[in-house]
Amino acid sequence: MIIVDDLLVRPFFSILNSIHALALEELYDAEAIRDDIKENQLLYDLGERSEDEYERRKTELEAELRVAEMAREQLSGKQIQVRE
Amino acid sequence: MEEDEEDALYAYGVVEGEDVEFETEGVDGAERAYSVGHRSLSAVVTDIDTLDPERTDENAHAHNDVLQQLLEYDGGQTVVPMQFGMAFKNERTLRNLLRETRPAFTRALRQVEGTVELGLKVLAEEGVEVDEAAVREAVAERFGSLADSSTDDDLFSDRLLVNRSFLVDREDRDAFDQAVGEFEAEHDDLLVQYTGPWPPYNFVDIEIGAKQ
Repeated sequence: MIIVDDLLVRPFFSILNSIHALALEELYDAEAIRDDIKENQLLYDLGERSEDEYERRKTELEAELRVAEMAREQLSGKQIQVRE
Repeated sequence: MEEDEEDALYAYGVVEGEDVEFETEGVDGAERAYSVGHRSLSAVVTDIDTLDPERTDENAHAHNDVLQQLLEYDGGQTVVPMQFGMAFKNERTLRNLLRETRPAFTRALRQVEGTVELGLKVLAEEGVEVDEAAVREAVAERFGSLADSSTDDDLFSDRLLVNRSFLVDREDRDAFDQAVGEFEAEHDDLLVQYTGPWPPYNFVDIEIGAKQ
């Protein structure tokens, strides 16, 4: 019985780990946030985005980037724990 | 300031020859750029009191601005730019680096001699559908022959149709400017951002490593 349980449970945890990792990847995708910062600058430079909108977005994105970088630093090299 | 950082130097790029000196607004508020030479090469630097300058917007702009000033210095210089953040403990460590990397810098200077980098970004007006492939082809056709070389750069926004850097001889600058003006006039439905001249960031590739 123990062997059967183990076989059933292990793939399940493995999938959970992968889903968790993917969610974190998306949530803390610093590269995508950097791209958004560049896009914000470009649209402002081309006159398509007002100064107010540009400043508001910039502040927002820079805060997101700080969080993403901090989270990445803390998560790097660590196993993701899945609670039972 | 740490005692061993009081003679620190921040480097912007490498040129041939010596005796570069100009007033500027450099990284961390530096006010004077000057050259530190080894044989035929010089690194252009400003004084700094850290080996780890912070990459703020202000410092990133200052890095670019000094390089652009250097590019136009004394009738125009060929510059191999350094990436942001290259600080050295003192003149001796910088000269050592120049000695070790002289062949690579000399080769890079030959590759980009007499040229500048120009940037072209093309977007569709918001809400306008355009034939993306046709736009890319039009850019390649019009500007390809005016440049020595070009690179496809990162399309960091879904709105971007083209993001290219061109390596252009100084003597072809006017023709390139004119071609950009014509391209804009012919494409009302496109937004064009034309930037430069820059030092050839996208056309030299020297790994320096952590030997500051």
